[in-house]
Amino acid sequence: MSGELDGGPFASLTEAELRERFEAADYVADDRTVTTVDLALRLGRPLLVEGPPGSGKTELGKTLAEGFDTELIRLQCYEGLTAENALYEWNYTKQLLAVQADEGTVAGGAGTNGAAGAAGGHSGEPDTGSVFGEEYLLERPLLRALRSAEGRPPVLLIDEIDRADEEFEAFLLELLSDFQVSIPEYGTVSASTPPVVILTSNRTRGLSDALKRRCLYLHVEPPSFETEYEIVRRKVPELDAAVAAEVCSVVERLREESFLKRPGVAETLDWARAVAALRHEDADEPLAADEIERTIGCLLKEAEDVGRVDAELLERLRDAASAAPERVE
Amino acid sequence: MTVARSDGTETETPDFPAARQHLVTELIRFAAVLRRDGVAVPASGTLDAARALAAVGLADERRVEAALRASLLSETADGDAFDEAFPTFWHRLRSGLDRIATAHDGPSPEGGEDGEDRGTDDAAPADDSGDADAEDPGLLDDAEPPEMDADGDGDPTVRIPTDRRHAAGDRPTDEQRDERDGRRYSAVGESALVEADVPVPSKAEHAAAERFVDALSSLPGRRRRRSPTGPLVDARGALRASLQTGGAPIDLPRDAPTPSELRCCLLVDVSGSVLDTVDRSALLALGERVATSARDARVFLFDTDFAEATAAFSDPARSPADALRAAEIEWGGGTRIGHALDELRRTAPHAVDRRTVVVVASDGLDVGDPDLFTDGITWLADRADGVVWLNPLAVSPSFEPASRGMGDAAPYVDGLFGFAEARDLAEAARQIERHGLGGPIGYEHDPRRTGGEPEGGRGRAGDETESGDHGEGGVV
Repeated sequence: MSGELDGGPFASLTEAELRERFEAADYVADDRTVTTVDLALRLGRPLLVEGPPGSGKTELGKTLAEGFDTELIRLQCYEGLTAENALYEWNYTKQLLAVQADEGTVAGGAGTNGAAGAAGGHSGEPDTGSVFGEEYLLERPLLRALRSAEGRPPVLLIDEIDRADEEFEAFLLELLSDFQVSIPEYGTVSASTPPVVILTSNRTRGLSDALKRRCLYLHVEPPSFETEYEIVRRKVPELDAAVAAEVCSVVERLREESFLKRPGVAETLDWARAVAALRHEDADEPLAADEIERTIGCLLKEAEDVGRVDAELLERLRDAASAAPERVE
Repeated sequence: MTVARSDGTETETPDFPAARQHLVTELIRFAAVLRRDGVAVPASGTLDAARALAAVGLADERRVEAALRASLLSETADGDAFDEAFPTFWHRLRSGLDRIATAHDGPSPEGGEDGEDRGTDDAAPADDSGDADAEDPGLLDDAEPPEMDADGDGDPTVRIPTDRRHAAGDRPTDEQRDERDGRRYSAVGESALVEADVPVPSKAEHAAAERFVDALSSLPGRRRRRSPTGPLVDARGALRASLQTGGAPIDLPRDAPTPSELRCCLLVDVSGSVLDTVDRSALLALGERVATSARDARVFLFDTDFAEATAAFSDPARSPADALRAAEIEWGGGTRIGHALDELRRTAPHAVDRRTVVVVASDGLDVGDPDLFTDGITWLADRADGVVWLNPLAVSPSFEPASRGMGDAAPYVDGLFGFAEARDLAEAARQIERHGLGGPIGYEHDPRRTGGEPEGGRGRAGDETESGDHGEGGVV
């Protein structure tokens, strides 16, 4: 169990440093997120991030990679994802060619194994050991994360783990607790520098206790008005500040409605970009009701939800928008 | 390890073993409290939490909170229980550490490490409000310290129990409630999302709910079996046996109901008129109990809509209040009972069969189609082994099933009980245990109503005239 404070690459990391790196990458994080990520890094534990879609879970992984200037290895999970897709695969074509070449030329070119040479002259029996060497191994994301070069550990982002099958989840356990995997024909591969592992989940299904036990847990909530305003200002600088406040205020109001799919931060950013793109000379005009209505598709992604936006709701959104500029003063 | 004094400065802990012991004790206690509240704390959670605290230090409440949250929780829904328990933990931790620090600085009566260790383990901190909570984690909730540390960063987020609002009259009169009072007895009201102040059921409420559900699920079914000591003569068996003796019934076999467990189906009306009058935590306790202990239990919520909530109530790791919120059931907004029963019949017909006792928690103020309602309740009564109706309005001494919905339903209901708080459930359970569903049970047989127990203004003497046969004319 790698839980000790064992002077890993992040042992000397402080929260202030981490916050700076988030700042530099334009990632607005609240205190809880910063502390939890800091802990995950310092304890060398995987971090399980849950939250509604569009709340910046994937972005967290990308930001970490960017902030620490290291490689981001991303594994997008889906139903039917197998260990072969995620971990390693044998290069069958190359193996086959090697075996055939072995038959033709004496004492095969596969030659990672001395036994192949010793067998010399007898070309009938291909040496099974020889084609399961390093050079026939096709690295997939997980193996790549474990075998990456010395120095800065890579960030391994296992995205939407809840979409993968439970078998795959169980397969991950060894990787997450010991940062090693066992390949039957090859041996055990363990990481010299454990990667930073971020798992994200949309909670489409519950994850197993065994997985959760190995991870630190972070629930990302929809941001407050202030945080969201900050995010919009950083990510969509072309939008006028007052209009950005209105945008955030409208989204905040929309989240109070019981929609099938409530808008996340990603939707807010989409909408802010849309509003900015549609405005040319009248850049600092306040949001108008028809403008909201025309672009509501950026925020609401369900036909039923869009259908619920009527004149009354638009009026309330309009009220929320007009109250916004004072809130950011 | 460093700790922060209450003035915010970090000092080297003078008595390291005692402080460490205190921290570990409090951490384990905290994890136990969380587990008791249904949080699925991982087995290694305390270990991780201790490591995490070693990493972040104990100076900053928010960092400690984030660290514990990351290591002890693994479900979003558990956040509320954590929020509730954390201030107590923090207070106990800090006051204990401060005490250890001062005890070291000042003259210590015993001076020995052992003495201080003992003090850390057993005695509650001197400035803590309740000494009792040191022994029983179960009392921690009630023993919230009255004031937080002087440094002001600990805004005590104490959960104040929701005032019980029930029909008998002892309602709180603060202004916040006033606007809701308007829809107290009206079946319609504005829809509002479930509020966050749904209280956690207490131990007594759990006990009452348990007794009620046990009483229901241990009811004898209709099937009978031969029993030499049974209460009744098995007439058919006697007739058959008499054929061997030339028609003379010499053997009189007796029978008794087959011991069996009934299934339970709970229909909860979540309209404003009900939720304002019933004790919500008792209602949640009932739902939880039904979902977890009755066989094949199903729980449904309805107001103008109808939704199943069995999963939410049966998962011990989830708080049902959260589940209600997650299901986006809206409290309030009138009731269409007939519609709900119709939905039940269409979407989950197997939830009710002849081995099921159906519990309806509703005030019967139906705003839907009366024909649909009659159809629904006759179907229900016909199909189910029994129907028990818990009506929050029936706790009132002057209650009569006069409203349209309740009047229509009364003939089909085996037992109509008042239900505003946990002890009403206990009373209903007592009656069912004693008389069974076919017996004289119901609100009119409540001794608090008939016998004139004075408390709560609920007992009313001389009430016998109206105690008609509502409770008995049900399904046989």
